[in-house]
Amino acid sequence: MENIYQPIEGIIEEVITESPTIKTFVVRPQEKFEFRTGQFIELSLPGIGEAPFTPSSDPNIKDKFDVTIMNAGKITSLLHNTAPNTSVGIRGPYGMGYPLDTFQGKDILIVGGGVGLAPLRSLLLALFGRMSDFGKVIMRYGARSPGDIIYKSLIPQWQQKKNFDMVVTVDRSDETWKGNVGLVTALLKGLPINMNNAVSIVCGPPIMMKFATLKLLEIGFKPKDIYLSMEKNMSCGLGKCGHCRIGKYYICKDGPVFTYEQLKDLMDIWD
Amino acid sequence: MNTLYLREERYFKFLDELSREYRVYLPVKAQGQALACAFGFKAATADYALEKYSVVPKDEIIFNEYRTIDSLKSFFSPPKEKVASDFGSSSGIPGDEKVAVFGVKNCDLFSLRIQDFVFLGGAAVDPFYEKRRRNTLLVSGDCLNFKEVCFCAALDIMPYALDGFDLNMSPLNAGFLVDVGSDKGREVVEKYASYFLPATDTQISARQKKREAMLKKLKEHLVLHNIPRKEEIPGIVRKGYDSAIWKERILTCVECGGCNMLCGTCHCFLLSDKKSGNVNEKVRSWDACLYLNFARVAGGANPMKNRYQRLRNRYLKKFDFFPANIDLCACCGCGRCIEVCPGKIDIREILNSLAKEAAAANEYSTG
Repeated sequence: MENIYQPIEGIIEEVITESPTIKTFVVRPQEKFEFRTGQFIELSLPGIGEAPFTPSSDPNIKDKFDVTIMNAGKITSLLHNTAPNTSVGIRGPYGMGYPLDTFQGKDILIVGGGVGLAPLRSLLLALFGRMSDFGKVIMRYGARSPGDIIYKSLIPQWQQKKNFDMVVTVDRSDETWKGNVGLVTALLKGLPINMNNAVSIVCGPPIMMKFATLKLLEIGFKPKDIYLSMEKNMSCGLGKCGHCRIGKYYICKDGPVFTYEQLKDLMDIWD
Repeated sequence: MNTLYLREERYFKFLDELSREYRVYLPVKAQGQALACAFGFKAATADYALEKYSVVPKDEIIFNEYRTIDSLKSFFSPPKEKVASDFGSSSGIPGDEKVAVFGVKNCDLFSLRIQDFVFLGGAAVDPFYEKRRRNTLLVSGDCLNFKEVCFCAALDIMPYALDGFDLNMSPLNAGFLVDVGSDKGREVVEKYASYFLPATDTQISARQKKREAMLKKLKEHLVLHNIPRKEEIPGIVRKGYDSAIWKERILTCVECGGCNMLCGTCHCFLLSDKKSGNVNEKVRSWDACLYLNFARVAGGANPMKNRYQRLRNRYLKKFDFFPANIDLCACCGCGRCIEVCPGKIDIREILNSLAKEAAAANEYSTG
């Protein structure tokens, strides 16, 4: 029987600095590895530790994947110090991911915050591969400051895409910033979408997810059409270790993507 | 298969034979601690621990009157275990040895239903648990007495097993009635058929009387504790989410995690990576939701930083998560968590207090 705890090996091919605290690692798995956008993996430094991350690359690229990682704790800071050719462990992918097929024919509104753009990049690249399947695709992205925006060089390329409308805002501006200033939730009014045939996808820090969800409900989205990327300290990834429970669900197994309909009656979902 | 009878003197020989095929574990008497009962019940003070048959002197082989100190879970997922090592080194899954555990009680069998759901169900089968479970023969026995903390019957779990075992032993006169509960159990009694006699109807009805008397005695004790009915518990716990009870009862908690460790249904574990010489290992260790960092995420944010949230989490997991997923409360009423708690936190009392609070709130809202 397969050992569900055994990682496969991945080699870090490239390390890209996105911001002072965020780096993207290009990883080449040494065995067959595929994921669906929105699923997560457990990435480990052998003998040191393991943490959950969501790949940020196009799921249609099968021979390697990207993970964009914020230097936030013990494992992430050690990962930030790794150089190309470092060997890492990969378990997964875990969870359900975004149900792209159910989005067919619908407008899609994506709301992102901070490093939450990492998993959303994977989603965007997956959507870009089949744009004719959907109605309008609109993205609103907010970061704390211009320095906290990730994929700075990629965003202008995305903004050129046909049928894709992306606006970026920062909470606090500086002298380099010419764009919008204010919370991302302020950009969610008066959007040219048909709420009865649209879905929204939210990924970002818990406080931003909370207020974005409230705003989406206010502008007419139904709870079943709001998709949230939830996060806790997923460890096993298989619904066994018990760490990422939220109400009757495990985020690792039943999520990490949930509709607000699934979560709205649960307690303390934004903690 | 019909009920069989095994005479006591044949039992020892049977164990000898069985131990050639299985690593046999048996209950032995252990140093017990007396717990005072709030209602004056004179508690049994003996304790039982499971020990390897090979090291137990013959005259110390006993039939345990009630459950052992530890639950069964360590037989299937040990407190700490290497579950993976370096890439490409397939060290295989341990657990080939056949193990027979005697002295199992119905509370422990119930807890295995929860453990089975976790480790055999869900997104994938845990191969470590699965192999050990498959290679373990569970021999349960009727309870002849109970501890002050025992409350299985309050949760409709009987002090004797009707299913979930491979073999069950009910002491009667100078021997045991033996029931077969699985193919694994059937193979054993067929292989050692010469040890067993068919049981008589008189023996079976005598056992029934013993069982009923024991249950009656237990229920007389439990009525004093006034534990809510199991159907009501999930609602009561959910309703008590913001209750002050969590904050009050946690005051004496020392965060030892004993309740989690001894609990037969608690299954949480942590995967960690470590170096062992030149080898990198992934190790699985039991975790406890009463520990500070149970829910901590990267960067230090902790959704359960307050102790009362962790106490409440334990109850929500048992009485909300599991009922919602498999329609079972993940509590077998063994009372181990009560017995082990240095802070005297008592699950019976908390459920009772939550029930009273919920009833008072109902009365208030309906005027």
